[in-house]
Amino acid sequence: MPQSIHTFRLDNGLSVVVETMPHVRSVAWTLLVQAGAATDPEGQGGAAQLLNGMIFRGAGERDARALSNALDELGVQRGGGVGTEYTTFSGSLLAEDFDDALAIYADVVRRPQLPAGELDAVRGLTLQSIQSLNDNPGQRLFNEFSKIYFPGPFGRSSLGEPDELQRIDHASLQADHATRYLPAGGVLSVAGGIEPERVLETARRLFGDWQGTPPALPQPQLRAEPLYQHIQQETAQTQIAIAYSSLPLGDPHYYHERLGLGVLSGSMASRLFTEVRIKRGLVYTVYASPRLHKGLALILGYAGTQPERAQETVDVMLAELARISEGVTEEELSRARTGLLSAMVMQGESSSARAGAMASDMFLIGRPRTLDDIRAAVESITLDGLNDYLTSHQPQNFTVITLGPAPVSV
Amino acid sequence: MRYDHHTLPNGLTIVGEYNESAQSVAVGFFTRTGARDETPEISGVSHFLEHMMFKGGERYSAEEVDRVFAGMGANYNAFTSNETTVYYGAVLPEFQERLIELLADMLRPSLRQSDFDTEKKVILEEIAMYKDRPSYAVYDLARMTYHHGHPLGNSVLGSTESISALERDRMLEYFERRYAPNNMVVALTGKYDWQAAIAQIEQVCGTWQPMDTPRALTPPQPIPQERMQPEPQRDRVYLAAVAPAPAAQDDSRYAADVLAWIIGGGRGSRLYWALVYPGIAQSADISYYEQDGAGAFYIFASCAPERTTEVIDLVRSTLQTVQAEGITEEELTRARRKIASGLVLNSETPMGRLTSVGYDWLYRQEIEPLSDTVDRFLALTAADVDAVLQQRPFDTLTLVGIGPLAEAS
Repeated sequence: MPQSIHTFRLDNGLSVVVETMPHVRSVAWTLLVQAGAATDPEGQGGAAQLLNGMIFRGAGERDARALSNALDELGVQRGGGVGTEYTTFSGSLLAEDFDDALAIYADVVRRPQLPAGELDAVRGLTLQSIQSLNDNPGQRLFNEFSKIYFPGPFGRSSLGEPDELQRIDHASLQADHATRYLPAGGVLSVAGGIEPERVLETARRLFGDWQGTPPALPQPQLRAEPLYQHIQQETAQTQIAIAYSSLPLGDPHYYHERLGLGVLSGSMASRLFTEVRIKRGLVYTVYASPRLHKGLALILGYAGTQPERAQETVDVMLAELARISEGVTEEELSRARTGLLSAMVMQGESSSARAGAMASDMFLIGRPRTLDDIRAAVESITLDGLNDYLTSHQPQNFTVITLGPAPVSV
Repeated sequence: MRYDHHTLPNGLTIVGEYNESAQSVAVGFFTRTGARDETPEISGVSHFLEHMMFKGGERYSAEEVDRVFAGMGANYNAFTSNETTVYYGAVLPEFQERLIELLADMLRPSLRQSDFDTEKKVILEEIAMYKDRPSYAVYDLARMTYHHGHPLGNSVLGSTESISALERDRMLEYFERRYAPNNMVVALTGKYDWQAAIAQIEQVCGTWQPMDTPRALTPPQPIPQERMQPEPQRDRVYLAAVAPAPAAQDDSRYAADVLAWIIGGGRGSRLYWALVYPGIAQSADISYYEQDGAGAFYIFASCAPERTTEVIDLVRSTLQTVQAEGITEEELTRARRKIASGLVLNSETPMGRLTSVGYDWLYRQEIEPLSDTVDRFLALTAADVDAVLQQRPFDTLTLVGIGPLAEAS
């Protein structure tokens, strides 16, 4: 059965995308607003995070408790959060209550009370999240990685920086909300047991008279030079991140990169897992995954291992990343293809997964990809075609970051 | 939904929840074994053995196991708890037979010495990984302290020492004692072919020999206690508390779940408003763990060191207040609604239902249709929740903490 996906664009620039899933009782949505860490006002890193906390502390006619109770009474399972490029508000519930739930979120996003007395508590929670990074070294590594890889606003931590968080006052948050929580470039993505006409009508009613355009995203650059940095921390395991540039979604060779990555890290049969964990027992966790941004992408590899084995782990990982340019076997390609397509089919069973994936597609390339699109793109790539591509596009200029008791040599 | 059930002559039970509109099939082999079935000398063997199953049986090598899974595009893994070990995969319906064939082969493992030696290093890395995460370490400490010697307090991972000393033959001996067909359940969910499944499982697993697989079900003897483990290198304090709760076989488990949700099931709960909303703690929540013969409530909180006493006092007073005064009708309505909606949403994928279906049989030898579970939650009354509170679970609180603290007991 072909997928039933409809896209609309409201006059204010908010995209609405709906996938009607037969036999599904739930509806899931993702509302994406272009207010992320990258557009936090200068010197106010963490502003988007504070706003995301503050807007749930009362909106429309409801105070914080009434808001929370109303969502629970509808059975809404809540999700979302602040990223580099945007903030998302997602949820899922039984289809019949969708309109009521979205109306509450319209209040949250458009009409938050932003009570001044709550700012210190919200700021305190964010500061605690930053403090707790030391007790989750993997998370701390990724947080530091972005700052190092993308110097400037694009690399900011979505949690912000303690000194800058302290400088954000109530008036500047109000101004920030008015400047950034705006519809243009935003996405409302809905999937599940619901018809597109009903979603469009609800979206028009709740968001049609919302007007404005948030500030443009900064234009980051992928690193063109190799880099190694070490972060000192007395941990039981050395944390390793290895990154290199890749192709963004929408690029004609995107699926070549994706299949190459599938051979490297798509499953437990992939090269990194086989060479680093199964054969050598160097790690519990090792993988490489894509980080997709608008117009650019990188691949980020990760491993954690005890310090005395960190050097060998880095060496094996780098060797495997380089070896991909020698080409892959037919069997490897077939597994990578199957893995990608099977994951898509299974994603199609979950309304939440579909709503999230479509919102991301809309943001990155302005249209949702269907399973048929992806199948056609993946099946059109032959072994020779993939190997021609891989041999002429060797991964290079690795950025390597380690966190632990001692550095490695790179 | 259709419910299926079949038991082979050797005691292996196969259960299923069929969903015509699903796109995939999920299959799980559920084994009634885990850390509580270990002695101190083999601490961690259940979990280590779970890893070794992926090294293959007669038919496949370690690398081949993962290649066959990946060739099907399977979403697969395994997990070990204190009392169960589960191996599962989800695939497109055309791969049902291959998936069952592979899982069944894995569960009669070769335990090759070279694989054992390499995988031991992986387990030691996993132990090291959790050493860096006090939010996990505090859970182990709480479980161990609460049970003080009872096998339910055993660590799933084991220690660096117990794993380093473990020998392959001890693992084989443990495997032979625990992985008997009468101690296992195969669960299927989604769009499966039932007749094909039982015929294949009978053929492949029908020769597995049943045996006596006893488990000590003596109840834990918790006592009120407090124990702080100083770790000066930490910036934050991680607290955990444990209290007795209904067992997995007890009908009051639904009420226990609702009670936990009201006290600390996330945003909107009492612990959230008392501790997280005002920024006193970064997190504070409680969950109900149903376990074989003896359930427990687990409470977790994290905070800045200087607020530790305040957080402990607020956790204790929140628990005591609900125990003394009960819950409100409004709280009950919201909790029932939220849990019911979560159950329905989660059931839309075969993987989302697999654990519930497998555990239903493992713990209770029944399959409760999803709609019955939803109805049981929706029918709960404040009196049902009061019945759980009348056992006064929070009078017997074990509270532990990790962080830059002074030692106390």
